[in-house]
Amino acid sequence: MLAEALGKKYSRGWALRECSLEIPAGRVVALVGPNGAGKTTLMGMIAGLVRPTTGRIEVFGDTPNGRGMPSSVSYLTQQKPLYPQFTVTETLRFGKNTNAGWDQAYAEELVAQARVPLSAKVGTLSGGQRTRVALAVALGKRPRLLMLDEPLADLDPLAREVVLQTLVTECRNQGITVLLSSHVLAELEGVCDHLVLLSAGRVQLAGYVPELLKGHIVLTGPLETPCPARPESIIDAQTVNGARIVHAVAHPVPPQHGWQVHQPRLGQLTLAYMRSGGSTEVAA
Amino acid sequence: MIWIVWRQQRTLFITLAVGLVLGVAGVLALRAMMTADFTGAGLGGCLRDVAQSGGVCGADPNGAVQVTWTARMRNGQLLMLALPALVGVFIGAPLYAREFEQGTHALAFTQSVSRTRWMATKFLVTAVPAFAAVLVMQLAVGSWIEAAGSIGPLQNGRFVQAVFDNDGVSPAAYTLFAFTLGTFAGALFRRTLLGMTLTLGVFVVVRSLVFSFRESLGATKRVVSDDPFAKSAPDGAWELNGGYLNAKGEVITNRLEISGKCIGNDPTQADPQAIEKCFRENGVVKSFRDVIPADALGSLHLAEASIFLALSVLFVAGTVWAVRRQT
Repeated sequence: MLAEALGKKYSRGWALRECSLEIPAGRVVALVGPNGAGKTTLMGMIAGLVRPTTGRIEVFGDTPNGRGMPSSVSYLTQQKPLYPQFTVTETLRFGKNTNAGWDQAYAEELVAQARVPLSAKVGTLSGGQRTRVALAVALGKRPRLLMLDEPLADLDPLAREVVLQTLVTECRNQGITVLLSSHVLAELEGVCDHLVLLSAGRVQLAGYVPELLKGHIVLTGPLETPCPARPESIIDAQTVNGARIVHAVAHPVPPQHGWQVHQPRLGQLTLAYMRSGGSTEVAA
Repeated sequence: MIWIVWRQQRTLFITLAVGLVLGVAGVLALRAMMTADFTGAGLGGCLRDVAQSGGVCGADPNGAVQVTWTARMRNGQLLMLALPALVGVFIGAPLYAREFEQGTHALAFTQSVSRTRWMATKFLVTAVPAFAAVLVMQLAVGSWIEAAGSIGPLQNGRFVQAVFDNDGVSPAAYTLFAFTLGTFAGALFRRTLLGMTLTLGVFVVVRSLVFSFRESLGATKRVVSDDPFAKSAPDGAWELNGGYLNAKGEVITNRLEISGKCIGNDPTQADPQAIEKCFRENGVVKSFRDVIPADALGSLHLAEASIFLALSVLFVAGTVWAVRRQT
């Protein structure tokens, strides 16, 4: 997936501006950003549902358009649309009839794993069961790129865990590229190996997670001594329990009394970038 | 794809089938009751011999039986007039609008079937039963009206609006227009209620507008009578204009002036022969009628239907655009 100078303007303003990024195949990508950062818009454009105002986008070498979705891409929107009056069996039949590469056995297996009764109407299922059925439809298509917009938003913590594990296992086993969006990175920490952080319609941080972690440092020290990091490298500084915690771009830091340097955790680093709110733009 | 649309519209199709069975059974029952009533009132001869009755028929042509049944048939005609609009508002407008509103279009658009095929299948699988229902109702109501013969709504010919609109290809043309208008409005605005309201409004306006110039769609013929005061026999034609001709065959334009002079202020006191004489003295030689003849009925239906067909083609093209449009 390749995007160049992508932008989308709605009547209320720009939802996404000057967005350029490349997502290598086979990664589990976390698309993170606060509400309204442009996550759904970006996914809609990759799926061909939303037309870019500026720039261009390419998915497996094709430009998405309004004619239809390539069979190699699956997209599950935030609302997880399913026909409420269809039964689960009928929903799978819908998937079979609308997708050439449909794998009925696989879809049925995914539904069976979730212990969703096949004869139940989709409208009567719980949020978690609905999500599992929607995932079965998305995966039964046997896509190469799977996009999930806030897939865990309406699930309880246990269901989140189960759904996420199922998803990541399936995708890793089959080499599917997954693009997951969330406004809570904590959910995705530990499963994603690529991060795209959107803020106010711009890409604030994007890259392979191990490289991102290597490229940043976190310094902790007392309030009374100044931080030894170079001021221009500092992303965010905060005071927690009488101590300073400073996130910065990695660089050699002179030793200073009371200050320690660590490798940051992904969640904290992302939060630091979110707090800095687009004032620094760094792409690692 | 066909199965999917059938499954989605299952409730609609069942409703349609039940409504159709009840509607046809009701109309046929009314028809049987009416025939029995007419026979009982001694009007049976008129029904058997429509052509010769000439609109005056039976012992009491304006009797209570006839009045009652004319009112009931009028309701049947009104139902038929409303059917195309109902199809457009309740079947056409929600067809795509409901999917957009509920977000389920995203489900359809994210499968590998193309949007155009999705749109076309939904359109056809839904339209065919709706059309079948309208046509069957047209046949049922039509047979009822025919059974009343020349003592029913047909006594003034088949060009009368309530008869013409429910005759021939017209109901199909109006239904196609309403349905495509509904799908287009729904797909364009992606709101069911807005689509339904617009469909009803535009349908009523366009139907009235086309009706207002319907007479100009047919070829008119001038029928000249050598006796200007003879009453013309009903020939099923649509009379658009009429008047008197002078010796040169020119239309007399000061007709009102002549009648004012010859008839006077109180028509009941006037002597018909004196009036005729006065008219002739003022140059009235012949009378004429500009009509659309009865045998042009079919071509007038087709001419009007082609307008609605052309609009429908535009709406279908608009729907394709609206469905394939990226927001």
